[in-house]
Amino acid sequence: MEFNDKIPIYYQIKQYIYTEIIISHLSPGDKLPAVRQLALDLTVNVNTIQRALSELIDEGVLESKRGKGNFVTEDETILMKLREKVIETQLQHVYDRLAELQLSPEEMITALQNYIAKRKDDNHD
Amino acid sequence: MTNLVTLSNVTYKRNLKIIIDHLNLQLPQNNIIGLLGANGAGKTTLMRLISGVVPNYKGTIRIGTATTNTARKQVASFSQILTGVQPNARLTEIANYCDTLYSDFSIDVFEKIIASLDLDGTEKLSALSKGNRMKCVLAVTLARRVSLYLLDEPFDGIDSMTRKRLIKSMLTWKPDNATILISDHHVEDIANILDQVVILKHQMVISQKSAEEIREKDGLSIETYYENIYEGGVDHDQSHDNL
Repeated sequence: MEFNDKIPIYYQIKQYIYTEIIISHLSPGDKLPAVRQLALDLTVNVNTIQRALSELIDEGVLESKRGKGNFVTEDETILMKLREKVIETQLQHVYDRLAELQLSPEEMITALQNYIAKRKDDNHD
Repeated sequence: MTNLVTLSNVTYKRNLKIIIDHLNLQLPQNNIIGLLGANGAGKTTLMRLISGVVPNYKGTIRIGTATTNTARKQVASFSQILTGVQPNARLTEIANYCDTLYSDFSIDVFEKIIASLDLDGTEKLSALSKGNRMKCVLAVTLARRVSLYLLDEPFDGIDSMTRKRLIKSMLTWKPDNATILISDHHVEDIANILDQVVILKHQMVISQKSAEEIREKDGLSIETYYENIYEGGVDHDQSHDNL
């Protein structure tokens, strides 16, 4: 995994785990690798992994079972909200940038539709 | 956070030249801390002082309960460990020698590390390439099971693939609760594994800050932060916030 060096590593690890869950590389009820193993896989500090995991546990995305490890929650509501939240975060970036360029909401929708159409064409070529 | 290392008002002169000037520093346990500073800032001297190999200094240096040079040598593993080793010694002989010298040395850990780094224990120290010598230094330093590791430029002049493997060894073999103080010319090489950075300039600590806080609050990479502080002068940041 390549990290952006201007963004906290723990934050990027959280995003990475969110993505793994949303694209079902990690399924509800799956056990996460041990903390030290994750630190080695991502070549980061154990403390950084622990911070990311403890925030994910606080958010309910992961469940910590004493002596057994950390598991992806099986709570459908939390997983649905997670997906919405991650999508919203991405849209927020795009919205803020376009608003900066003084696009109206209608212009944003048109621009997005045109862009999606263009990408579809590109993929068909 | 519990402090493992405390330096109070430490001054060190050599040949009438001040190398370390009234330095104060505290290092927490279970942290990986980057020691940054230009050549001549005093990084190596600071590590030598902490490790207990420098006889004449003023002030106090404490690692846990160890305050004397002799006591600190017992609880800190310093990467200059191979200084004085016979160049024609084989790696296994070096391990045996260290085992007699340090009661905390683990031949088992040493053998596991060199095997994971593809080093052959029957090779002679003098026959090793620069990269392999660095691997050997790291293996010997980490094979001591102590609470503090002082790694002085452990990745100097080695390729990025080897560096990555050495970093993984470090992460694998750092005992829980041990602290690693590591210096490196190329900050970006180690930025991802650091809890904190300590910046030395003009014989003093001019900044000590959490790595994640630099990214989160300042929105900067560790490298940019370091360059800004260094170019901004001594008074730019005396803060030791949230440590």
